[in-house]
Amino acid sequence: MNTLLSEEQRDALQELMNISMGQAANALARLISAKITLSIPKISAVTPHKFLAMLTKRTVWYTRQSFLGAIKGEVVAILSKDGCDAIALLMDYDLPLTQDTLNELLLELANILAGACLAGFAEQLSLKAKLSMPTIFMPAALRVEQYRWASTLIMEVEFKVEASHFDSKIVICLEEASVQTLLATLQQLLE
Amino acid sequence: MSHQVLLQKLTSRLPLGICVVNKEYQIVYLNDFFTDRLRHVGGDVYNKNLLDLYPEAAKYLAKKINSVFVLNNASFSYWEHKPHVFNFSSSRPITGEETLMYQNIEFFPLDILHDSVETVCVVVQDVTELASYYRAQRALSEELEQEHKALTELNKKLEAAQNQLLQSEKMAAIGQLAAGVAHEINNPVGFVSSNLQSLQDYNAKLFKMIHFYRKLIQKINNPTYLALEKDMLQRQQYVFVSSDLPELIRESIDGLERVAVIVKNLKLFSHVDNSEWQFADIVEGLENTLKIAVNQIKYKATMHCNYQENLPKLYCQPMQLNQVFLNLLVNSAQAIENKGDIFIDVSATKEMLYVAIRDTGSGIAPDNLRKIFEPFFTTKPVGQGTGLGLSLSYSIIKKHKGEILVESTLNEGSCFTLQLPFLAPEDYQLDQAADAASFQP
Ligand SMILES: Nc1ncnc2c1ncn2[C@@H]1O[C@H](COP(=O)(O)OP(=O)(O)OP(=O)(O)O)[C@@H](O)[C@H]1O
Ligand SMILES: [Mg+2]
Repeated sequence: MNTLLSEEQRDALQELMNISMGQAANALARLISAKITLSIPKISAVTPHKFLAMLTKRTVWYTRQSFLGAIKGEVVAILSKDGCDAIALLMDYDLPLTQDTLNELLLELANILAGACLAGFAEQLSLKAKLSMPTIFMPAALRVEQYRWASTLIMEVEFKVEASHFDSKIVICLEEASVQTLLATLQQLLE
Repeated sequence: MSHQVLLQKLTSRLPLGICVVNKEYQIVYLNDFFTDRLRHVGGDVYNKNLLDLYPEAAKYLAKKINSVFVLNNASFSYWEHKPHVFNFSSSRPITGEETLMYQNIEFFPLDILHDSVETVCVVVQDVTELASYYRAQRALSEELEQEHKALTELNKKLEAAQNQLLQSEKMAAIGQLAAGVAHEINNPVGFVSSNLQSLQDYNAKLFKMIHFYRKLIQKINNPTYLALEKDMLQRQQYVFVSSDLPELIRESIDGLERVAVIVKNLKLFSHVDNSEWQFADIVEGLENTLKIAVNQIKYKATMHCNYQENLPKLYCQPMQLNQVFLNLLVNSAQAIENKGDIFIDVSATKEMLYVAIRDTGSGIAPDNLRKIFEPFFTTKPVGQGTGLGLSLSYSIIKKHKGEILVESTLNEGSCFTLQLPFLAPEDYQLDQAADAASFQP
């Protein structure tokens, strides 16, 4: 169903992702001095329908953050409610978390992960992209009909902090037009 | 204009605070947004330590800036979480209600040398306008939510009231039915009861006769007759019958008496909406009410009743007062969690009759004490209480020109005292006339 990408392109992209996500995991590990495990990056083309279906869990929080530059899009971070307190401690927050400090923590975490993922990724491709402030994201109110795009490329990777059962997923979503830029750049790299 | 001059002019006019620091937090660059607000420091701020200039924010700033140096990644600070990182005063000192500036801050790596961050740029955005708008919105929506809650609450109360009305309609219907049934049963119960009395009487007479005949036969002392008598007595199980028969009759009379009591209570109950004014014995009313409430009380509380002797009759609506007693007694029983006591004390002076109903139940919190007479105030779960009992009682006592007083200690118990004045029928006539008038179309 991934008609957007050829097999070859996908492998190349996956390799790129692997490297950049490793850097993101390192960044988080350094910040909280804990061991981070990383899933294999998943690359897929999604429709708005599928995209919304990804955002229906009740056991997680969502943040979103857009990026601008040679490639454009948004990064959605999915952060588990489990283990948040442990991460808060590692990151020097006072417990118990209030609504405000929880939001602050979620946004900071999302920003670190998304920033590292995107920076690594953009650097590998020599494409510039600058992230804006993340905000808390409540996907419950979204409806498919509101979307003006048909299909796009997303890249997901999961980070787990083993010691504290914390689990997070970073989803880089490219704007439709940026997919072409990405593919062209990939093609150059492959040749 | 040279490029540099242009840039300088630009940064000095930007509505943003811009500050660049090195790894030691020494200020490498500050734009006018900062320097304008740092007049009091005096001297050259360059090379000063940023953390020293803003000691209250030092810890937070250090954490944020460090994360940029370490991770080579931008970091953000939001007004929602940290509204006033820099103690800048509000940009609306005259018209605004806020005293400090609300700030969004971005920290990002500026000079990067061989993957290592050399300087960090701090950009401060004044979002006071936005924040106060947002906060006003939030206050508004909270207000709306409150109102919504109040409405929902009100809805629930209306529902409860409707249920109560339905309930009382049902009760009235049951009451009528009960009155009819009671009346019908009363007749047969009456004659069965008097017949049983006669039966008991005749039975005693018959046994006396048998006794007499047996003595006679013994006197005659004829072996044949004696044998015949013995045989007869045995065949007819005389010993058993003679002991069982009176007992059967006694039991039947007992049972019938119980039926009579139930019928009487049913009749009383069916008259609860009777509001006739008359001279009535309050103790009798209390006792009748107790009989009705006995099922709700007997597993919870031991009753202790103390009535002053020779109490005069009170001009009142006896059935309405019974309703008050019932409410108070049921409340007391419901306030007792496991096992407790209820004390009823009736006494009188020349002018006033006092009925005190005291329990060893949960007591009432001081905060609630003011509210218990309000209609719909209840602390009981849905279905158990409608919160109408006391408000109804209050209005009934007011109609009698009386008072209802409460004393209560949490976890010890409560005492409700009714003060009812001994008044003459004339004293109530005006009110009754008004009542009657209000029913006319
Ligand atoms: N004897 C008592 N001990 C403790 N609390 C009492 C007592 N009597 C009344 N209260 C408090 O006052 C509230 C109001 O009493 P009220 O009789 O008006 O309503 P209710 O008993 O809750 O409901 P209803 O009588 O309509 O079934 C009760 O919910 C209870 O909290
Ligand atoms: Mg009650």
